[in-house]
Amino acid sequence: MKKTLFITYGLLIVLTVSTALISNTMSVSRILIILIMGLSVLKFLLVSFEFMDLKKAHSFWKVSLILVLGLIILGIVV
Amino acid sequence: MNTLKINYKSIYYPPGGILMWIIIFLELITFGMALLAFVYYGKEQPELFHQSRLQLNTTFGVINTIFLLTSGFFMANSVLEFKNNNRLKSSLYFKLTMLGGLLFLILKSVEYYHKMESGITPETNVFFAFYWLLTAFHLIHVIMGLVILIWTNYGMTKKNSDTGIDDIEACAAFWHMCDLIWLLLFPVLYLIF
Repeated sequence: MKKTLFITYGLLIVLTVSTALISNTMSVSRILIILIMGLSVLKFLLVSFEFMDLKKAHSFWKVSLILVLGLIILGIVV
Repeated sequence: MNTLKINYKSIYYPPGGILMWIIIFLELITFGMALLAFVYYGKEQPELFHQSRLQLNTTFGVINTIFLLTSGFFMANSVLEFKNNNRLKSSLYFKLTMLGGLLFLILKSVEYYHKMESGITPETNVFFAFYWLLTAFHLIHVIMGLVILIWTNYGMTKKNSDTGIDDIEACAAFWHMCDLIWLLLFPVLYLIF
């Protein structure tokens, strides 16, 4: 098992539990939505760059994925 | 291509293959557009969406996220072991990946059963129409992913196997795509309304 994969996995679990705790303790507001979606973006990028090895890919794929993700998140938050 | 050396920096070969990444983008755009429509309707009827969202079991959603992330972690390790020419260990991680997917399926089935028992169907309201449509469509992808995993694992463990790293990576990319889609579905359906 590679150390970076293990650290990434630990981070993902911490972020997932944090997201759930935040949503349970705060009432629905714009800040909550931005916070939850922000944490989801982090998880999404960790899975794609670390688990899927996108970090090794050509910049075209990295930029394209960030662009698509950005557009979806922007549409949800705004 | 049956080699352990792939030039990932080539625009034509992202990890998992160009075809798989085209599929991943198409899927993300499709689910993304559906999520944007869901949020649009949510802004039109905030009270209905809030009340409906409260009927979803967030704990189930969190546990399912952990199941998928854990299986994704094992998938990534499986690819790594395959690259190190350790097929036995790679196959073991493959099986652990499948276990994560199977647990996701079981918990999702329990969640669906509870919803149906409470009379919550796609016809209940627009929130649940989206809930059923999006989660069921995602579930179909997980089932397809499991079939691909079983098939690839069978191929890599048999004698005189011609399964190469490109096959394993394509399989892994499809499985991680299920994670990525769920990482967008979970907060929008279960948390933000």
